[in-house]
Amino acid sequence: MATAMTGRGMAFIRNIPGMLSSRLQVLGGGPQQLSCLHTSTSLESKDWERRNRKVFPPQLPDDIRRPAEIHHSRRQIKYSKDKMWYLAKMIRGMSIDEAIAQLEFNDKKGAKIMKEVLEEAQEMAVKNHNVEYRSNLYVAESYSGKGKYLKRIRYHGRGMFGIMDKVYCHYFVKLVEGSPPKTEEKTGFDQAKEYVQNLKNRTIIHSL
Amino acid sequence: INKNAEASLDLRHPVPLYLPVRTKKRYFIPPAVGLKGKREENTEAKARAAGIVFRQQYFERPINIACTAGIFDPYIPPEGDARLSTLSKEGLKQRTEQIRQSAGSQLAIRKIKEHDSQFTTKGFAERAQEIFIEAHNALTQFNKEKLHSLVTERCYPEMTRGNRYKTIRWRFVESLEPPRVVHARCPDMVTKGNLYGQVTVRMHSKQTLAIYDRFGRLMMGSEEQPKDVLEYLVIERHLVNPYGLWRLHGKIVPSWAPAKDPVIKTVMIPGPELKPGQEFEALHYEVPKPEAVQWNK
Repeated sequence: MATAMTGRGMAFIRNIPGMLSSRLQVLGGGPQQLSCLHTSTSLESKDWERRNRKVFPPQLPDDIRRPAEIHHSRRQIKYSKDKMWYLAKMIRGMSIDEAIAQLEFNDKKGAKIMKEVLEEAQEMAVKNHNVEYRSNLYVAESYSGKGKYLKRIRYHGRGMFGIMDKVYCHYFVKLVEGSPPKTEEKTGFDQAKEYVQNLKNRTIIHSL
Repeated sequence: INKNAEASLDLRHPVPLYLPVRTKKRYFIPPAVGLKGKREENTEAKARAAGIVFRQQYFERPINIACTAGIFDPYIPPEGDARLSTLSKEGLKQRTEQIRQSAGSQLAIRKIKEHDSQFTTKGFAERAQEIFIEAHNALTQFNKEKLHSLVTERCYPEMTRGNRYKTIRWRFVESLEPPRVVHARCPDMVTKGNLYGQVTVRMHSKQTLAIYDRFGRLMMGSEEQPKDVLEYLVIERHLVNPYGLWRLHGKIVPSWAPAKDPVIKTVMIPGPELKPGQEFEALHYEVPKPEAVQWNK
């Protein structure tokens, strides 16, 4: 490639990303495998809300009843995404009644907002998404994301300044109909047994 | 200062006389808090003073009304309509009474024939059934343009409310009785000559309806079990408009209509208001039933 450099200047430099991406596609076998290429999302994409619009084809009467999924989110909450994460991690896998009860008696600021979001989502589920029993829901996914920050000056001594970020976050929930899935709790003894088994399974491949 | 001396001496390579002293580079200039644009209050007055002439701004828009807002003089279907067959004496009497009695309908039909010369009650009744079937087929496929041409603007939101994320499967099995024109009226909207024709058609047929929600689960009805349906459809047309079409305007649900099948879901209804300390007695509480009133759908 070094020898193929011609002297056409700007036009050539503009073509470099195109050449690189085409090469990478040929090598990598598809853009999904490479994480260095940006696909689609801009700053204002509201994918989470769009997931509520997906329509599934009608089921035959013999199939297992598909559980209803409700996606809900709140944007630009005036709270830190790291502090919100602790609450989101606490809720994961709980049934909705339990989650609301825990958040009601939690002292953090984000807990009150999260509780409102969950109640909104529950109402939406019953009204719009044909969910029969409002307590038959559990939290399948819940996480927080960074919102758009405002920047301010924080004055230090000697004429130095720092950039202060006014922090905002988004919060996303996915409620699924049904009882919450039971996670199998592994005892220490089981884990130790597994470890020993892994050690015993070691062999030398392609040996003589 | 050294450079200035050089500059004055060496004329072959002139050097600028003044070099700016570098300041500390600001890597970040935060947006000034509280900076809002200056609100110009008198832009209009200033523009007029400058001599710019504005044309008069009209805040009106012409609206084209292609359908009426409701059903004028609704047809009141007699009780026991579907239970009596045409062959019995009472059935024949009812049939003869209905169409001859209403003089208003005769007048209206005459008016309609003025504007549309090919209007016949028999041909129109069959055409009405075709419109009905086509409209419902377009509803199952959510073909908006076709639906708008077959159904008036008043009926469209009633048909499609809440159906955007649902799948509807509808099938017209057969017609048990031939459709008949039972009622006609020609109301005029706003001005006197603006005629709209509303004709009520009665039809008795077998249909299957199944509604699936967003996740493909059956919400109401069943696909295999056909039901006998007695309906009173109101078809409307803007007579004065030469390009007007006969479109489905609404349905009349009589007060003696049987209750529909329940939805496959348990629904919470708000209970009675209790004073503090009072308990809810489930045994003595009766669910309030709605009144049996004729209403237009």
